[in-house]
Amino acid sequence: MEFGFTKEQEKLRKELHDFYANELPEDISGVPALSKELQDFWMGLQRKAGKKGYLAPGWPKEWGGLGLGHIEVGIANEEEGYWGIAWPDGIGLHIVGPGLHLFGTEEQKKRFLPEISSGEKVWYECFTEPEAGTDEANQQTRAVKQGDKWVINGQKIYITGGYKPDWLYVEARTADTIPKHRGLTLFCVKADTPGVTVTALPCMGGYRANIFYFDNVEVGDDAIVGQINQGFYHVMATFEFERSNTAGAARAKRELQELIQFCRETKRNGKPLIKDPMVRRALAKMAIDIEVLRLAAWRTAWRFGERKRLGPLDFDLTGLFSRLNAMSHPNLKMDILGTYGQLRMGSKYAKLDGSIERGWQVTRSYHYAGTMEAIKIVLAGRVLGLPRIPAKLNTTIMKALQEKEK
Amino acid sequence: MNFELSEEQKMLKKAAREFLENECPESVVRKAEDSDLGYPPELWKKAADLGWLGLIYPEKYGGIGMNILDMAILYEEMGRALFPSPHLSTVVLCGLAILEAGNEEQKASLLPRIARGELVMALALTEPEATWDGKGWLPQGVTMPATPEGNNYIINGVKLFVHDALAADYLLVATRTRKNRRAADGVTLFLVDAKSPGISYTVLRTTAGDKKQCEVVFDRVKVPAKNIVGKLHGGWPTLERVINIGAVLLSAQMVGSAEKAMEMAVEHAKTRVQFDMPIGIHNWVQEYCIMAFADVQGTRNLVYEAAWMLSEGIPCDLEVAMTKARANEACTDAHWQAHQVLAGVGFTTQDGVLPLHTKRGKVWQLYLGETDHWMEKVAQQIEKWPPPEKPKGKPLGIFNVPEDLQAPHWDVWANQIKNKGKLW
Repeated sequence: MEFGFTKEQEKLRKELHDFYANELPEDISGVPALSKELQDFWMGLQRKAGKKGYLAPGWPKEWGGLGLGHIEVGIANEEEGYWGIAWPDGIGLHIVGPGLHLFGTEEQKKRFLPEISSGEKVWYECFTEPEAGTDEANQQTRAVKQGDKWVINGQKIYITGGYKPDWLYVEARTADTIPKHRGLTLFCVKADTPGVTVTALPCMGGYRANIFYFDNVEVGDDAIVGQINQGFYHVMATFEFERSNTAGAARAKRELQELIQFCRETKRNGKPLIKDPMVRRALAKMAIDIEVLRLAAWRTAWRFGERKRLGPLDFDLTGLFSRLNAMSHPNLKMDILGTYGQLRMGSKYAKLDGSIERGWQVTRSYHYAGTMEAIKIVLAGRVLGLPRIPAKLNTTIMKALQEKEK
Repeated sequence: MNFELSEEQKMLKKAAREFLENECPESVVRKAEDSDLGYPPELWKKAADLGWLGLIYPEKYGGIGMNILDMAILYEEMGRALFPSPHLSTVVLCGLAILEAGNEEQKASLLPRIARGELVMALALTEPEATWDGKGWLPQGVTMPATPEGNNYIINGVKLFVHDALAADYLLVATRTRKNRRAADGVTLFLVDAKSPGISYTVLRTTAGDKKQCEVVFDRVKVPAKNIVGKLHGGWPTLERVINIGAVLLSAQMVGSAEKAMEMAVEHAKTRVQFDMPIGIHNWVQEYCIMAFADVQGTRNLVYEAAWMLSEGIPCDLEVAMTKARANEACTDAHWQAHQVLAGVGFTTQDGVLPLHTKRGKVWQLYLGETDHWMEKVAQQIEKWPPPEKPKGKPLGIFNVPEDLQAPHWDVWANQIKNKGKLW
């Protein structure tokens, strides 16, 4: 067992740390990147980092990465988290790229991977639908083969992102099968293909999600990633790939450092907040939670490096810890600010630039890549081996309820 | 970063589990509750034969020279089986204090005997009033005086919550030999024969229902000056270090016990049938199992990290404090979750295994620093964290908060859509 890093790893950390420290402007703040100027800045930084191979350090050099191991990737993620960086093309880097690595044709790899690793493009993941949230296999969007074209029709919702996308990674039904997840296929769809339209869906905390509509959108066979009707399995395999999320804990620790500094500088009833036993207790609890999350994330990274594939255990545990923290920490922080906790960014009385209020709002929307309940279902069934309600029984119950309503 | 146990550690874990499953079933634990000694001597002897009692000592003192991380792995298994033994008191708290601070004669005479299982020791540290004031595990808590008298010292006072006192051959006693200084600077450790005239023991009636903890009264007990362990007035740093190590190992023990309780809950959830289905099919029951599982896994990582840092000699006051604070909550939480799942079969004391875990879990939670103590230690460490580093790039002036950000964001978006008619 070993909880430290090698000299080379520390060197890499320093290199990335200094790169971001020098590239990020000193007046940076956590405003959601919605204005043109902000988007230009973040896209610019993404390209710069891409040129150095920092975006996808774990990818082979031929695809624009640095060919580094999983611990090194975890270090890169930690630095991104520390500096509060969320890449415009997070989806391309963490979902599409790994998916193409595993299932893409040589041609697709050549076409897409260098574009993604150099930070030139923005991808969105179009999986979720109004009727396919946690039950992802319940896709209603259809792709039908007509001649040599596939025609896609349907609707995708809660597609996060404020940047203009170049490509969409779409999951659609290509066969009516039982069980449902055996008839899904993945497509790469250019975002400006005729028939693709979009509506914005503003979210808590000022972020933007979207609804994408597909109205007779035509793509060729070359748009298919992996095998036809195997899309669900491809997605699941991709989800288990490269998701150590060491960034979350690094980010959380930085935010806690910020709050501790605030508590040192701010007095209440004539003494610094940090000397208040209740505040100390809250800060200590958060520090411990963050360390638990950090270690779980590192364990995930390590396990992936060792086994080349993740089991459900470590990844889902990291997800559970991060969601538990997301639930409780913003409330604890707001309690420390007292009534001032509710003041938004821009208000003259707001403390810490309103970042805690914003964080509170954002964490209410922390359901992407599976809700806490979805994670618990996985932990209960696949890790602890607890029984599940059989799908057949579900159908019976649904029918009985419908009958009753009539 | 590497979370893999070494081959040696895997072997230790496997051997420990097998040994304890065979030699230390629930009946042994239950029987030990009633004995004055608190443990079966033949089991203690067997543990010595396996090398568990000298695991951490250098070979020249009869040990095997393994480290604290190895020990943590053993402690997990001991917690799982509720191994009734004075291991923590004898081998860790007293033994390591002697190893660190004792003179060559003390080390050579005591440590090999501990390793062979011939000597049991107990740490007499906490005192009634200081513990009540929340200073039990701080140097301020040591007030019992040891006064020089010729070649001897006279110890007079009361120690409370002394674990394994009835079984001990020797007590390691923390005394105050100098006042009016920094509290940490005037504590002296004495090796006291447990049968010395003037010492009396009263068993404390505790949650665990055993005879493990005592009030120890010292009535003008005479101890020769050569029995000082370490430097005169200089005992606290040693105590602080063994408390840290003890707290991490105790946390490992709590993880082991919590894991056993969690496994019992999961097993019960799978097999207990009500309303014609296993109760584990209900999400509410699953929730208990999952949260207990998360408690175990999350705390185990902390334990390993702190134990690794202690083994490597890396400063880790923060990690130790985090570990015991978290273990305190996680272990009792996991026990509680297991009680929810096991319900009726979980609380009968004559045949139930879970109550044995729950009751000891509570005792361990309050031993070597309760949650408040360690939370405050965490706070003392993170208080020193520097503010986060600021980026150094030239300011761009585009991060100013737009005025309309004070309005809810959906208004901003709605306006944008209205005015421009398009989204990007």
